[in-house]
Amino acid sequence: MTKIAVLPCCGINKTLGLITIEIGLKLKELDHSIELISPATLSVDQQRYKEMIQESQVIVIDGCATRCATKLLEKEQYSKVKRIFIPEESKKYEISLGKALIITDEGKKLAERIAKQILEEIKNETKQVKEPIIERDFGKIDYYEVSYDKYYFRVPKEGYYFTENDCWVKPEGEKALLGITDYLQNKSSDILFVELPKIGAQVEQFDEIVNFESVKALLSLLAPVSGEVTAVNGKLEQEPNLLNDDPYEQGWAIELVLADFTEEKELLMDGKNYFAYMKKKIEEEH
Amino acid sequence: MTKEYDSNTATFMGVQRKEIPWWPTIDYEKCNFCMECDKFCPHKVFEKHENQEKKLVIVNPYNCVVFCRACSKICEPDALNFPDKKEITALIKNKRNENE
Repeated sequence: MTKIAVLPCCGINKTLGLITIEIGLKLKELDHSIELISPATLSVDQQRYKEMIQESQVIVIDGCATRCATKLLEKEQYSKVKRIFIPEESKKYEISLGKALIITDEGKKLAERIAKQILEEIKNETKQVKEPIIERDFGKIDYYEVSYDKYYFRVPKEGYYFTENDCWVKPEGEKALLGITDYLQNKSSDILFVELPKIGAQVEQFDEIVNFESVKALLSLLAPVSGEVTAVNGKLEQEPNLLNDDPYEQGWAIELVLADFTEEKELLMDGKNYFAYMKKKIEEEH
Repeated sequence: MTKEYDSNTATFMGVQRKEIPWWPTIDYEKCNFCMECDKFCPHKVFEKHENQEKKLVIVNPYNCVVFCRACSKICEPDALNFPDKKEITALIKNKRNENE
């Protein structure tokens, strides 16, 4: 069985941070084999938790968007990570933490629910038989290419359509693949976590269908088209860097059955137009 | 040098940005003025007004990236609301047709 280690941000100056400590302690109470990682110790002594982080599934709990715990873990060699972001959980359970710098009874309730949810999800993940990961063959793709400073940008010349939110769709008969562009991956820097939708999920045009997180930002793939999800690129969960290294091919995110491509295409750009749009955007930023 | 984003000339999907009413509205009943959204948004949509009752205001609504809702994700008290995405998409389509 996989070992579990918990890395809460422990931010003492915010209720959101205090609750991460409460969740860590609750997890330890529910399962004594769980190890706790002190972010303060980790920040000054990387050797202290080195093996534990490599060998365990690390539950990273961030209280706020500064994401201190995530940033600390990013410096380590980790293998499997589960990410908890308190504002999301608070909304999901409709429990507000209040303004005072204390953990209220409601806060304790939230901590307990999150802790139980984490253990339940890990249990279910262990039971699940993962779909085999199939490498997709993209053939030979011709790209438009341009460099600005240390950044290098590509845009496929044909077969892909783009949104002004820097996401792409590649129609393949009745289905299509979706992903993010080089502009978005360069802008976000190294992507650390990817949250993929469930197969069967219904997607509307411009829905936030894949959430991902880099050291710099929390970002979303806004679906260029609507449809029903038929496959997800599970490889991204283990190798999120594929989104940075190969965003148009092995970094594809989801496959869906197209619902209304003919009409939705009206709001999309082809490769040539997106390349011009992207260059203009980069030039305005420099 | 970085040029400032000019919402007067900006377009989105071929429509003047100023014709698209997409930006967050703050629910002051829920907002606890933690200012996480202001710290997070790189487009300067929000502004802090420390000495006023409403300590957080929307100052640059047209700087907001159409369809981006990232600030609402980090808002713990769930105080940021966005317009209906379908309505905005329909409005963009109509404006594009008018411009043709």
